[in-house]
Amino acid sequence: MARKVGIVGAAVTPFKGKWYEKTYYELAQMATRDALKDAAISIKDVDAVAYGIYNDIFERTCIPEHPLQAIIGMQNKPGIRITNGGATGAYTMSAAHAYVAAERYDVVLVLGVEKATDCFDFTSMSATPEVIKVIGWSGDSFFEQKIGWTASDSYAEVVLAYMDEHPGDLKPEVTAQVSSQLSEQVKTNPYAQRQFDQVTPEEVMNSRYIVYPFKELEICVYTEGAAALILAEEETAKAMARNSGKPVVWIAGVGEANEVSFAGKNHNNWGRIMSHHVAAQRAYHMAGIKNPLEEIEVVEIHDAFIQQLEISMAEMGFVPLGRADALVEEGLMMPGGKLSVNPSGGLVYCGHAVGASNIMSAWSCRNEMIDKGYRRGLVHGTGSTICQYGVVLILEQA
Amino acid sequence: MVTPQDKEKVIPFEFIPDKASETTNIDGKDYLLMNDAFYTFYQRSLGELSPFFLAIRDEKRILGCRCTVCGLVRVPPFVTHCPFCDFAPTEPVEVGQEGNMLSTPPITYFANSLFAARAPFGRGRVILEGADTALSTMLYTTTGILVPGIIKRGTEVKVIFRDERIGEITDIFCVPTAELTPQQIAEKGLQESELSWIAPAEPEFPEASAEDIAIYQRSLKEMQSLASEMSKSKRARKAIEGWKRDIAVKTRGGEFAMYIDDGDFRIEERKLESPDFVMACADPRTLLDGLSYKGAITDAVIMKRLWISKNMEFNTIFKLDRLARFLAREKKEQAAG
Repeated sequence: MARKVGIVGAAVTPFKGKWYEKTYYELAQMATRDALKDAAISIKDVDAVAYGIYNDIFERTCIPEHPLQAIIGMQNKPGIRITNGGATGAYTMSAAHAYVAAERYDVVLVLGVEKATDCFDFTSMSATPEVIKVIGWSGDSFFEQKIGWTASDSYAEVVLAYMDEHPGDLKPEVTAQVSSQLSEQVKTNPYAQRQFDQVTPEEVMNSRYIVYPFKELEICVYTEGAAALILAEEETAKAMARNSGKPVVWIAGVGEANEVSFAGKNHNNWGRIMSHHVAAQRAYHMAGIKNPLEEIEVVEIHDAFIQQLEISMAEMGFVPLGRADALVEEGLMMPGGKLSVNPSGGLVYCGHAVGASNIMSAWSCRNEMIDKGYRRGLVHGTGSTICQYGVVLILEQA
Repeated sequence: MVTPQDKEKVIPFEFIPDKASETTNIDGKDYLLMNDAFYTFYQRSLGELSPFFLAIRDEKRILGCRCTVCGLVRVPPFVTHCPFCDFAPTEPVEVGQEGNMLSTPPITYFANSLFAARAPFGRGRVILEGADTALSTMLYTTTGILVPGIIKRGTEVKVIFRDERIGEITDIFCVPTAELTPQQIAEKGLQESELSWIAPAEPEFPEASAEDIAIYQRSLKEMQSLASEMSKSKRARKAIEGWKRDIAVKTRGGEFAMYIDDGDFRIEERKLESPDFVMACADPRTLLDGLSYKGAITDAVIMKRLWISKNMEFNTIFKLDRLARFLAREKKEQAAG
């Protein structure tokens, strides 16, 4: 029987377009210090660490976590680095959860960090084309990299295939409203890269195409920052909570799935994001959730693109496939609606510091649950080409 | 005879920055920024994939693999043994050079530096005749800029071979068969030089009416005043930091010049002798709207309301869109106090 695992501390650094003042060493230590402070424990109380760092090229070294072991004071303790594309942070939480649940360690630090915008394109004198290029090195190296594979165009493939099946869904007016709503929600997140970048639906509609069908204000922004969680087994967690005064938020369900990246007969189920569907079903099963819309109050979803946010919400069972626009048209995620979706502003407005992003989402979900008294929340991560990877965690309060 | 210095390099020379550093000051403290690179060279083995790439390079044929048990034909042939059939062996099989799009393909407008010269381009998946899985391929139209609607789910396309082939996936791409003649469709191993590519020509405008001239003059004045606001805005200046372009802009009512110079943005009524590139739009309000953040200039290019002489300059177009957005954002923040 697996042990119960709870979150007893969490922290994020400010998410910024570029941190001139800090390297990833210091960002990682900042998040660690603040998470320990939140849990009111010492690093000496931590048994092991799981690092979430996505891309070696961003950090400009192939074992980016090794110096961190000293920087966060984990001499002679176990450390494992997870890298799973955009879902790195979510998979890191999943691995740390497994360590604690399996009685290997009682207290594990989850530490995600990314310094994404040090890379720089000297031909256009801007970082973004080089960031896109670096992520482009994640595409299939024999068949796709050299024909212009990017994260955006691979997610656009998925969205367009969905739109082929459901031409009436993902209406531009609706995706614009989702983006605008997230930009309102980010106002209360002081750590967000775009805390004061509120946009109207009209501005979203008028923003330029980056990769058809995505417009500039429907896309996540690359960010630098770190995020950390402290996970502990049941009795330790309860003791720490008594000491810190912060209630334990339990990880009641975890599910993951990786699709195949080739399409066609018996391969990727084109037009669907099965990884998100399967991951959610596994997490719901573990947490005993039958009807997510009735049983979950807050969702922190990995919104790489607004259209993908909508499809993922459908794949996770909050709205029917083909009717994802109900999120707005039936007010589900709008003010006064049934669900709070991305109160952090999501990756579009808080920012996407890849290895740290899903951990930031968990930080926000846990804070919202404690502050608003929500019983259940969902944290979602996606990554790799064509949304190949999906991870869902269910958080719960007693 | 190609001399060593003429040979194309695996890293284009213009991408390589100088060995240098600079200092940036934040809240009174200096921080270093170092020019750097993280590079590795390869002599990469193509191993079991070699026959696929050799067939493209040397014979202009497309190979797949067929499972000897279930008969599934995978293109490209990415397995030697079928994982669905307990790893039964597969055998090579040639497939057709026409096929249908599995879904509507995305179109990349904002490409990374390696692909800036090739944007806009589509990339999508085609099921070739005789294949069960989809080949990921670059997609072009011979009719100018690729816009949404030309290639959709089910659109029939044909594989085109580059004239110069080195055994890479870039040796092939696809165009809609609707743009080809019956002879071209029937030809196996059709090459890019056999297609008639329509080079988009600079649009010519009819004689300007008095109203056209009045619109031009009003728009020019508004754009000049926006340009001066942009040059004063700290945030807007960031959008064109380190960038320099002299652009000739031709409209029905008259011609003017736009100068981008490391944060400065100026508009003057004059004809440029040797601009970096030319923009042409019948109605100057297309550009005025873009600079006023009422509709993207990028979209005007995509939708053919604005013509640019060099596709590479999409880069500059993006910067102009960002300039407009940054100024609008600063104004909004000031209005909110």
